[in-house]
Amino acid sequence: MIKIKDLEKIYRTEEVETVALNKLSLEVKEGEFVAVMGPSGCGKSTLLNILGLLDDPDGGSFMFNNIEVAHFNERKRADLRKHNIGFVFQSFNLIDELTVFENVELPLIYTGVKSAERKKRVEEVLDKMQIMHRRNHYPQQLSGGQQQRVAVARAVVNRPKLILADEPTGNLDSSNGNEVMQLLTDLNEQGTTIVMVTHSEHDARYSHRIIRMLDGQTVLENIMV
Amino acid sequence: MIKNYLKIAWRNLKRNKGYALLNMAGLAMGMASALLILLWVNDELAYDKFHANYDRLYQFYENQTYDGKTFTFAAMPGPFAPAAKQEIPEIEYITRTDWGTRHHFSFGDKNIYEWGLFADPDFLKMFSFKVLKGDTSKFLKDPTSLVITDKMAERFFGKDDPIGKTLKVNSDRLFTVMGVVQQPPVNSTIEFSWLASFKIYEGRNQWLRNWGNNGIQTYAQLHENADPVAVNRKLKDFISNKDSSTIAKPFLFGMKDWRLRSEFEDGKQTGGGRIEHVRLFSVIALLIIIIACINFMNLATARSEQRAREVGVRKVMGADRFSLVRQFFGESMVMSFAAVILAGFIVWLALPGFNKLVEKTIEFDFSNPVIWAGLPGIAILCGVLAGSYPSLYLSSFNPITVFRGMRAPRGSAVSVIRKGLVVVQFVISIGFIISTVVIYNQIKHVMNRQLGYSKDNVMIIPLRGGMNEHFTAIRNDLLATGVVDNAAKSNSRVISLNSSSGDFRWNGKDPSKQLLITLEWVSPEYISTMRMQLAAGRDFYPDATRDSSNVIINETLARIIGKPNVVGEKLYRESGEELTVVGVVKDFVYGNLYKEPEPLVLFCQPSAVNSLLVRLKDGQDVPKSTAAVESVIKKHAPAYPFEFRFMDEDFNNRFKTEMLTRELSKWFAILTIIISCLGLFGLAAYTAERRTREIGIRKVLGASVTNMVVLLSKDFLQLVALASILAFPLSYWLMHNWLDDYAYRINIEWWVFVLAGGLAMLIALLTVSFQAIKAALMNPVKSLRTE
Repeated sequence: MIKIKDLEKIYRTEEVETVALNKLSLEVKEGEFVAVMGPSGCGKSTLLNILGLLDDPDGGSFMFNNIEVAHFNERKRADLRKHNIGFVFQSFNLIDELTVFENVELPLIYTGVKSAERKKRVEEVLDKMQIMHRRNHYPQQLSGGQQQRVAVARAVVNRPKLILADEPTGNLDSSNGNEVMQLLTDLNEQGTTIVMVTHSEHDARYSHRIIRMLDGQTVLENIMV
Repeated sequence: MIKNYLKIAWRNLKRNKGYALLNMAGLAMGMASALLILLWVNDELAYDKFHANYDRLYQFYENQTYDGKTFTFAAMPGPFAPAAKQEIPEIEYITRTDWGTRHHFSFGDKNIYEWGLFADPDFLKMFSFKVLKGDTSKFLKDPTSLVITDKMAERFFGKDDPIGKTLKVNSDRLFTVMGVVQQPPVNSTIEFSWLASFKIYEGRNQWLRNWGNNGIQTYAQLHENADPVAVNRKLKDFISNKDSSTIAKPFLFGMKDWRLRSEFEDGKQTGGGRIEHVRLFSVIALLIIIIACINFMNLATARSEQRAREVGVRKVMGADRFSLVRQFFGESMVMSFAAVILAGFIVWLALPGFNKLVEKTIEFDFSNPVIWAGLPGIAILCGVLAGSYPSLYLSSFNPITVFRGMRAPRGSAVSVIRKGLVVVQFVISIGFIISTVVIYNQIKHVMNRQLGYSKDNVMIIPLRGGMNEHFTAIRNDLLATGVVDNAAKSNSRVISLNSSSGDFRWNGKDPSKQLLITLEWVSPEYISTMRMQLAAGRDFYPDATRDSSNVIINETLARIIGKPNVVGEKLYRESGEELTVVGVVKDFVYGNLYKEPEPLVLFCQPSAVNSLLVRLKDGQDVPKSTAAVESVIKKHAPAYPFEFRFMDEDFNNRFKTEMLTRELSKWFAILTIIISCLGLFGLAAYTAERRTREIGIRKVLGASVTNMVVLLSKDFLQLVALASILAFPLSYWLMHNWLDDYAYRINIEWWVFVLAGGLAMLIALLTVSFQAIKAALMNPVKSLRTE
């Protein structure tokens, strides 16, 4: 599904040049659950942004489903992204002015799903995440765990092939964290590919494979059994 | 998708009530003032358009050249109309009218003065005044019949049928009502309550037979497809061909220009006139809208940090830039439409006051295009104008940057634009303040001008019935009341002398040069009553008959004659009349109050007058004095309701246009300052919010409240200072141009600029410091925790 070769990303300011990704190569197969670990500043988030088509690399190749996307323009990336990729963030990133239902509905609106179908699918996924009873609440009225479940619901409502999770449990206590990890595992078992950035060894153990990064390169891969 | 946008827009408004209120209030105020101006503009543009043959209607004007300078008059000679209709085939209809008079009408116990015109029968065929009753073919032919308006009919006859009823005019002649027409609409140049046959006027004024006397108005309707240029060619020498001693060159002046483009200079239409006000006010409407939209833009971009995360999330969820631009446009449209509803309400509330200010009777009426098209039009204009920049800016956020810092990039470009927009607002506001002060000073300057006579405590009473003949008795009775200082008669109202002639000669005058001289007919007490000063010679004798062929001239004419002793000089007129100058009155100001007086001749002819001038003794109780005067007048003209005006009121009325400009400029200044400050208030609030942490840290480190206020206000005051610097030369230039139209004018003083700049700074400081003090007083522990 994802094939990256010699990927480079360099951040420049007037005085400093920071190499975020240094000739990084990586492959993620369909149906895999991969955890990316490494110290702060090692390039994890940069990698995730590029995988999520939010950012473009400065060099190297990025094949998504056998299509070279490294040099896609903004519009093409947005199009590919909205149909194929779901995001889960550490800080949830729900829109405060929208209710739970409306937040989850948002990706469907942007992919042009009809209203009746949207309702059905949002309710389906809210049911699965067990937050149906909160559908008309606003994000601030929910606990952190509930907010993250809404965020996961939003990530999967469009039935993406790939979910990118950026420290999904970082803002949660351990029981809520475990719940979210279980959700992701269930999704993965149903066939969704997951790439997760995490600091937590505990969370990483939910994955099939751990990629450890340092200074913009992969340094080690652990296969989980 | 639209529903989603509206939802977000609505919830955003609800969540940020203060912000929404500031934004709406500013926008609505701007929209309301623009709408009021547009209503005024529309009303001006609609003048006379109700006439079905608007494009074919003309008034005859004529040019007369004196000493190389051409003057344009609306006055025509009496024989012109009948001759032109016979000889110029392009003319379909033609009518003469006088300048309009108020006559006293009575019916039963009803006594009312009504304004009306003497006109030829074609009058009602060419002008589209709707006939409600009567046989049109008979109108204005019989000199004992009248056509009156429905409003006048109601005043006299109530609901009764007015046709065939008899009205007594000036308590002697009887007229029968033959027809009723609808009251001319408010935007009609021609106004009347009654129309009577021109034959009556012709019969009373023998001078109308003369081609050299220009004294009435003449209108024509041309045939369809007639070429006005061809008509003008025929007109050019029309009058001089009839009478070779005349110099008048008539021409057609189209109805479409009557109201707005009536300015002539050196015989040519300048294209100027009221249209300049229309243009100016349209520009001002746009400026106010821009100021209001700037608020919207600045407040929207200032609070972008709050919206940044939403933009990021939406982009990650698959929104492309275009859909975000649409969303933010949608929000500004929602805001704009909400504001326009509020604006409509403000207009509805303000309209009576506005009407009073501009002397119109505009109604809040949905058939008016300014209302039905203007309201949504302004909403869309503001929505687009105000939404354009914020939507482009907000939709440009990069999700990665936004998520990393949870803040919008603190782009220097956007803050420069924001600052620039604030400067623009204050340049306009300060410009208005300066204009207001300059206009105010100019009006004061002219009103305080030494006139050469005393205008205070003088009553002007129209001479009615036998008052003219019984003047001596009236004057004696008036003086006997003890409240009257003096009384005289005159033809005109001193401030405006309307008659002029170019036919004076004297020994030694250059025969090639024609000189237009103002004429006035007075009783012998005129100069003493008006407290004018004599520069040479003597005043008229109390016995007017002794001075019937003597005149008093003003200093200007004496200078033009240019002889060391002008008293005793003979003046000769075309008619063979020979006049002797017995005195020279010191120049007094009349006519154009901004110019030097024109040459003037005063005739001692107490019979050729219209007005009684009564000077009250100074320092008396005014109501008591006028009551005493009234009882004397009542005694001598019992049939007539008592009417008078004070001369100083008359004088003040001459400044209507300037006063209106001053009032409007004042309101524009107040409005723009309020709107700009609303914006500044919002901006200051957001700045304070953004810098909460900084303020907390500074306070922990020991900064005082004053330090904080200075810190937060400084940036804004710098902007206002910069705006002042830009506004000064700009408004100097504008005001200098405005003053250029006035020969008698003030110089623009430096303190005006200091005042305007200082005022703007002070208001801005008050606005900003409110927020600054609030922020500075916050508990630093709390503000540090918010981060």
